[in-house]
Amino acid sequence: MNALFQQVYDFVEERIGLKTLEAKLMKEPIKGGSRWAYVFGSVLLFIFIMQAITGMLLMFYYIPSADHAYASTQFIIHEVDYGWYILSYHFWGSSAMVVMVFAHMSQVFLWGAYKKPREMVWLVGLALFGLVMAFGFTGYLLPWDQRAYWATTVGVEIMDKTPVIGDFLARFLKGGPTPGQMTLSRFFVIHVMILPGALMGLAGLHLFLFRSAGPAGPFRGTPDELKAKTDFFFPRQVWKDIMAMGVVFLIISTLALIEPVQLLEQATPDPGDYHPEPEWYFLFLFQLLRWKVFSGEFGQFLGAIAIPGLFMLLLVALPFIDRNPERNIFKRPIALLCWAVVMIGIAVLTVSAILNREFLD
Amino acid sequence: MTPSPEKTPSVKLAWAVSWSAFWTGFPLKLIVALLLLAAGINPWEGGGLIALLLVSIPIDIWALGLTARTVFLERLGLDIDAPVGFTLWWQGAVLGGLVLGISYYAVSGAVDVGKKVAAGIIGLIKKVFPHFPIAEQITVELLLWTIPVTILALVLLLIWLKLFGWCIKRLIASSGTTSSASYFERVRQWDSARVPDDVGLMITSFGAAMVLVTIAFWMVLPVTTPHPHQDYQMPEVSKPAKPMKPEDALKKTENSLAKAEAILASLEDAKSKESKKPERKGK
Repeated sequence: MNALFQQVYDFVEERIGLKTLEAKLMKEPIKGGSRWAYVFGSVLLFIFIMQAITGMLLMFYYIPSADHAYASTQFIIHEVDYGWYILSYHFWGSSAMVVMVFAHMSQVFLWGAYKKPREMVWLVGLALFGLVMAFGFTGYLLPWDQRAYWATTVGVEIMDKTPVIGDFLARFLKGGPTPGQMTLSRFFVIHVMILPGALMGLAGLHLFLFRSAGPAGPFRGTPDELKAKTDFFFPRQVWKDIMAMGVVFLIISTLALIEPVQLLEQATPDPGDYHPEPEWYFLFLFQLLRWKVFSGEFGQFLGAIAIPGLFMLLLVALPFIDRNPERNIFKRPIALLCWAVVMIGIAVLTVSAILNREFLD
Repeated sequence: MTPSPEKTPSVKLAWAVSWSAFWTGFPLKLIVALLLLAAGINPWEGGGLIALLLVSIPIDIWALGLTARTVFLERLGLDIDAPVGFTLWWQGAVLGGLVLGISYYAVSGAVDVGKKVAAGIIGLIKKVFPHFPIAEQITVELLLWTIPVTILALVLLLIWLKLFGWCIKRLIASSGTTSSASYFERVRQWDSARVPDDVGLMITSFGAAMVLVTIAFWMVLPVTTPHPHQDYQMPEVSKPAKPMKPEDALKKTENSLAKAEAILASLEDAKSKESKKPERKGK
């Protein structure tokens, strides 16, 4: 058996140079050795692959038409063998992807890994962050229940407030005065065709840039300690990555079992008793827009577009503003404070949005 | 340079051991919880919780032993000649039970008081600003009671870490011996304890465990949703009509006609026999 494997290996090696590829992929030295803090990128890739697999399985039964989207999703949940689990995994997987993006970006920020010479890795990472959010936004509509319909309505209304391109974007996405068949078709195509292609391309570029610049390594430790701990990517970092992927898979599966996807009523332009709100990861922004200071046309523009837009611009400009080579987060108190304020702010506003529900009835 | 155990802060030492031990044992506990959930048993209450806690004991002992030895070797340059996992587990469990019990009453009391105080402050604000908007009110009220409660919870956690750190230091003082290996060798030593150098063995054992868990999971996982929608009606599927075969239809008709003819003939026969019988006279 081993001889057969060796023959196959030699055959492929002769043609594509497996050893060089293996050396490039697996023998990459990691300064300071393998770490759990480095697993987020690999885990994100794993979640994306799982989302692609579960998404393809769902597409065998899902019908992207306003007449059949709801019924076909109900059919997946109630009639297809293990369909409920696949759909619930896909649903919770999308949330896991958002959480993991935040974790990955936080790690890069706190470790100062966006600084020279890794500015381009950071920029492509930000574009990937946008794609992940777009994945969540477009996928949310597809079950075509009240929650999906109204989350999209709220999201598109927020988008509409963008100057110059807002109106065009909103009209393009909706395809009509209210969400309907055209909206569903467009969201479906964006979700299953455009975004996966864009994500694969950008993720490839992200990895290429990361490999070109090399890992940043830990932000503290003596040169002797770093040298002693320096190790290849394989096996220790691979092992840690696999373990982290396993844990994420278990967490998503546990959530799918605790809270499987249940649809509300079929989508209608009348919200009835349902109070429209976006997905949980946009709740903080939704709650911010309820503040008096953000009421009115200008206030809504300020809260929905100007502040988030400025924040994103700040993130884009970050590696060019912060030119201090110091990476240790404990010696960058302003950065640490800013990160804590943003994270606590998002958490507090999200909880506030949940508490706000009881005042709506 | 390796710091001496006495100079290492207790909280830092306890955090290094317990944080790593938590994540080392977590995947195994999660597998058990997932299997219980798939089998329809709630692992957060009743029998499910007891099963999960019982399974967690050996996992925690193993995880604590492994991570504590790693921390001692890497950070303090010490080998420990004692059952590290078991000793730290029971000491940590006793302290944890104690601190958790106190925390339960302290934190829930603080939540109650904090909410009342926050409501009072909001009431005062509303007197000054009668149109204080509801969205802002929710966030201000949330911050007013969660900040002191979070600080209290953190203080209680620090107390537990401090006490656990003392236990660790006592164990080191009684059973720790300075390792003669260089830093490089020590790194390899504790690294190999966690990730075996034998890649074949690592992949085979991990793969086999994954296959077993997957089979067990798939065997107990419900085929249809455990939470069906209350209004969901199974779509009625009408059976498709069988395609008509002309030969069969002709044969069937011929058979039916033949049967009908036979019945008709027998009826006519019976009738003719009946009519031939002599009529009975009356008295």
